[in-house]
Amino acid sequence: MTEQTETALKNLSDAEFEQRYACDRYTATVLSNRMRYIVEHMCTNLLHHAFSMILRDWYDFAATISGPKSMNYTQSTVSNSLVLFSGAMEHAVRNAVEEFGVDKLRPGDVLMVNDPYRGGNHVNDICFIRPVFHNGGIVTFVALRAHQLDMGGIVPAGFSATKKDVYETGLVIPPMLIYRDDEPIASSFHLIFDNARYCALLLPDMITIYQNLLLGERLMTESISRYGAEAWLGAIQYSCDVTAESMHDAISALPDGVYEGDDLVDADGIDQTREYLVKVKITKHGSNMEFDFSGTSMQARTSINCGMFDTKTAVGVALKILLDPKSAFNSGVYRNLDLMIPPSSFIGASPPDGPLFLYWEASMPVLLAVFRALEPAVGLNAVGGDYGSLSIHNGHGVLPDGTPWVTVAQCGGEHGPWGATRSGDADSYEAFYLANNLDPATEAIESELPIVVLRKEYVPDSAGAGYNRGGAAVRRDSLFLHGASHTSSPVHTKRSSGAGVNGGGTGKAGAVWLFPAENYDVAKKKHLVPTDDAEVFRGSVPISGLLDKDTNLQDPENGKYFWFGSNPLWHTKPNDVFRYITNGGGGWGNPLERETERVMRDVRDEYVTIEGAARDFGVVVQGDPFEDPEGLTIDEDATRAMRAAMAAAAG
Amino acid sequence: MMIGVDVGGTFTDVVAIANGEIRTVKVSTNVKDTHLAVLQGAEEAGVGGATVFNHASTHGLNAVITRRLPKIAFLTTLGHRDILDIGSNYRPLDALTDASWRRPFGDAMRPLVPRYLRRGIRERLTADGGVLIPLDEDDARRQLAVLRRCDVQGVAICLINAYVNAHHEERLRELVREVLGDIPVSISSETSPLAKEWARASTTTIDVFMKLIYGDYTKKLGDGLADLGFSGTFNYANCAAQLVRADIAMEQPFEIVFAGPAAGTVASAHFGKLIDRGDLLCVDVGGTSCDISMVTAGQPYVNTTFLLEHDLIVNALSNEVESIGAGGGSLVTISSAGEVLVGPGSAGADPGPACYGKGGTQPASTDTLVLMGVIDPSTFAGGRMSLDPDLSRQAFENLDTTLPFDQRVSYAFNIGINNVAEGITNIAIKHGIDARDYSLVAFGAAGPMLLPATMDLVHAREVIVPPHPGLFSALGLVSSDQVYGDSRSSYTMLGTEAVESVNKVYRQMEDKLRERFDDKAPDIEFVRSMDARLAGQTWETPFVAVPSGEITPEKMDEMIANFHDVYESRAGNRFEALPVQGVTYRVEAVVKADKVEYPRLDRGDGQVIKPDSTFQLRYLQDKPITAGRYQRENLKAGDKVEGPAVIHETLSTTFMLPGQIAEVGEYGELRITRA
Repeated sequence: MTEQTETALKNLSDAEFEQRYACDRYTATVLSNRMRYIVEHMCTNLLHHAFSMILRDWYDFAATISGPKSMNYTQSTVSNSLVLFSGAMEHAVRNAVEEFGVDKLRPGDVLMVNDPYRGGNHVNDICFIRPVFHNGGIVTFVALRAHQLDMGGIVPAGFSATKKDVYETGLVIPPMLIYRDDEPIASSFHLIFDNARYCALLLPDMITIYQNLLLGERLMTESISRYGAEAWLGAIQYSCDVTAESMHDAISALPDGVYEGDDLVDADGIDQTREYLVKVKITKHGSNMEFDFSGTSMQARTSINCGMFDTKTAVGVALKILLDPKSAFNSGVYRNLDLMIPPSSFIGASPPDGPLFLYWEASMPVLLAVFRALEPAVGLNAVGGDYGSLSIHNGHGVLPDGTPWVTVAQCGGEHGPWGATRSGDADSYEAFYLANNLDPATEAIESELPIVVLRKEYVPDSAGAGYNRGGAAVRRDSLFLHGASHTSSPVHTKRSSGAGVNGGGTGKAGAVWLFPAENYDVAKKKHLVPTDDAEVFRGSVPISGLLDKDTNLQDPENGKYFWFGSNPLWHTKPNDVFRYITNGGGGWGNPLERETERVMRDVRDEYVTIEGAARDFGVVVQGDPFEDPEGLTIDEDATRAMRAAMAAAAG
Repeated sequence: MMIGVDVGGTFTDVVAIANGEIRTVKVSTNVKDTHLAVLQGAEEAGVGGATVFNHASTHGLNAVITRRLPKIAFLTTLGHRDILDIGSNYRPLDALTDASWRRPFGDAMRPLVPRYLRRGIRERLTADGGVLIPLDEDDARRQLAVLRRCDVQGVAICLINAYVNAHHEERLRELVREVLGDIPVSISSETSPLAKEWARASTTTIDVFMKLIYGDYTKKLGDGLADLGFSGTFNYANCAAQLVRADIAMEQPFEIVFAGPAAGTVASAHFGKLIDRGDLLCVDVGGTSCDISMVTAGQPYVNTTFLLEHDLIVNALSNEVESIGAGGGSLVTISSAGEVLVGPGSAGADPGPACYGKGGTQPASTDTLVLMGVIDPSTFAGGRMSLDPDLSRQAFENLDTTLPFDQRVSYAFNIGINNVAEGITNIAIKHGIDARDYSLVAFGAAGPMLLPATMDLVHAREVIVPPHPGLFSALGLVSSDQVYGDSRSSYTMLGTEAVESVNKVYRQMEDKLRERFDDKAPDIEFVRSMDARLAGQTWETPFVAVPSGEITPEKMDEMIANFHDVYESRAGNRFEALPVQGVTYRVEAVVKADKVEYPRLDRGDGQVIKPDSTFQLRYLQDKPITAGRYQRENLKAGDKVEGPAVIHETLSTTFMLPGQIAEVGEYGELRITRA
């Protein structure tokens, strides 16, 4: 393989720059920044005017800008939200426009597509695409992909790991118009409304999405008129080149070699004994990398697979995090990468019987497998694994007056800790690495739904120990005031995603329980469900995790695996409580080297117990963290002895 | 006489307006006893004869940013102590794929209240205000005993769903008083009764900090002013540069956490109107920080919330201002990789830059400019302070780098300029404007010195140096009518049934405002607005006009129609079939006030004028070049000055690069463009 030698962007002369990008440097910078501003503006405006909770309280949408066919729809700009959307949207735009026919598009059109096999993600994530015309030709495409609360299928709102094929997952929309000449196409809206639930929310949301495409188009048209179409296209190319160059340099700096990694998903919804493996072999040579996923499990028989575009996104994000965190995410990320994804595999599923819904549950393991593979290559820049799985909760029911309600991604393990890095301890509450979004406020949930979020707090001793500590697992308890039905999808509890790096410990694996009110009634006890009372846990119904088979308490080392698929639809009585505990974040570096002061502060702040400080960090802390947090002390002699013994035992 | 006082991180600026004249006083900020410097400046300005004393301060914000904060506790519902760590959960764009990013106020970085002082209390309200778990007073007392042991100085209380039912918060406040005595306590149901717990909890926490920081300060300042014979009205400016009487401001001091920069924006907008400039990038470079804001078509950007740092939200009306750590006091350091860095650390007022001779050994931007010859050591700060260039030289010599001396200084200058330019560009981009359409207003003590050099990096249309740039923000405190604001929040579906309750809210707020003015009441004009949303939304559409006077069913219809109009203009859609929910009702009492008038200059003959003297400008180019020195007071309207040049005035110095030209405007402003 020969290295292409290209002049670095910063060394281009003004004339060379102008020739390549049809504008001067300043204009290229202004326009590429302007594109970022335009997608942000579209997103903020959608957030503030959305109706369904998944949009307005969660930020489950993304906007992108792509070039025209002549540039192969290269994507220059993504919004600050879900990269797992944006990465796939490059393909959604390209495939939808090509299949529909680029020549058939005209000003005033909006194209839509939701087919995951054509454009990534899942059917609820409709990608709306607006061609932007200038002087009669398409100069650019602006797209908004937004989660619709429902898209039909057998589960209200859709989130389930047990749907068995493409027919159960929901309505598939091939590339088709939903607006023409800026008029809504009634048949397209009816197609959705005749197949989906909660259309009273879908309609105003879809109209609002359309308005934000118009907003994006207006802002772009202003810029294109002012600077010219050539400069605009030059700026799209420039945006991608900046990232491509940055990635190229970062890849080149890694040692050449072959690196392997893997990750595991517990089971699908059919067979609790069959695990799903993601395997990657990375060959790095010069400035190029090849990702070979041969050996990855065949596609699952229920909806825990992801498509190849989701896998591609996860690879790009993993590399950005490890090698080049600061450059913009766009098509340029992939210029020096080759991916081999086995067809009809767990991470490249095919229709009709490779169903996709919880696609991130397969693409997050892709990211983690790449993390594990490259740990030796990136050295101190290695990053601990995050909570790695959303253990998503989806519930529905009717109010006493008959009004239907639905909850999605509000009562499970949707947010959790990150892994530690060389720069410090990790936060305990974040979006997973492939996303950026809002946390739905407890009060926003409760003002609309018959739910009481009783706990949203961190679990002591759950974080991966390390010189820098991983984030602590999140414990979320939700009480359902009325009888309801639920799907619960914790599929990543056997092998914690919170992988430690550079000698750091692994975060504790998560688990999920149902606490029926008949065994512990919060309203009668006038107290929350306890955190670790074995008697109370005996009265719980385990949903997932490695648990002690007698007490149902967490036991990641020796516990029995409880399978989420044991019940595809949980029916609960009033005041029943679901508890989700996420995986803990991975630690970074040797915990025996962590400053004793920092360990004591963690004890004071109840991230670590006194026992945990001794067991995981070799630090002997004395006192009562609850009653006298400022009175804690360190037994320095005992600590030295304990750390020496632990270091010796570790060899 | 009116007095405006703006306390910055380094200097305290005082302006006195009387008989069409502007008098100015600048004193060093006293970081430990801020009120002493304010009183010193007020005395020099002759505060005894003033009718109004309008005060803005960045003191509260600085305390938050530096985390030099009193020890307080945060009490919330059991199970929710991590609200203050979680925030909104949103991270900035540059952290989209950066796993080393951490929330700046999170436990892994610099929490405002450490986790052990954030404690859950056994109680639980439901969203309809019902009680699921009663307040367990024994548990509360036990937790409060721990806080007493930890000697906390204040307590913020924010319980889940307290915005619909305040009883548990009120009772808990009584228990705090019982166990901890009469210390500052804020409860969220009073401070900011808005749904979605994070912003309410954050606002309540900041309120307690500000009670501790400003409470004692206000008393000392008030007493001091009385001792100086002042018997007029003492107002604070809030984050939107509206004025609130000091005693009332102390009821909810979170509203004044960040007032100074907003005053600068108001001063710019007011002055821009005079000189026919409506699109402005307002840049205030002080000793510690550089505050950047925008005015478009004559109007500042006003928000209903304000971020103290990323995601650290306060529910307060505010002019949008972004701060970066760059100023005259920015420290020059060498990174581990050997790069020259400028800021964000600052030498502050004490010890200040090395040349102050107060013991600072680290060079600061001021030292760079002294060595370049831009700052005349003998006339700095109106001759109030004499600077020692040898100390500047020594400080640069002591830097741990192998770079030759001249490169140390020229790098420090260029990097400092570049930092400011990047900050300005980011703000312009964020709002999607092209800086080429905007005038850059340069003020603050160091603004005119640093900003002309950014003109080509920022690509601004021109740089405008207004009169009295060194304390221009303080002029913002006497640049507008006095606007006194109040607001109430409660979730109400608008319609006939809501007429009486909405009417009552406005009547109460206006009666309360009217009480503040006694005899001046007839001059008051009330301006109402509301933040509202469509049923089913969780974000409000702010600043919908509300008709004045008694709310009748017709006026209620008008409110609803206004909402749909505003909504359509901002969101593109009109959903008249959906009910409208009012959330926050706001009233502003506008009291006509005398404003600063800028005297006009005599006209000159429009020629390029000769410098008063010349000097050798060093380190800008390979060799020293000859530059002109001018006194601003000698310039006449229409005069032109060619760079390289410095134009001195009492409290500031304008520094123009070669290739720049300044034209003097009719109010004495300098308009700097490329020659």
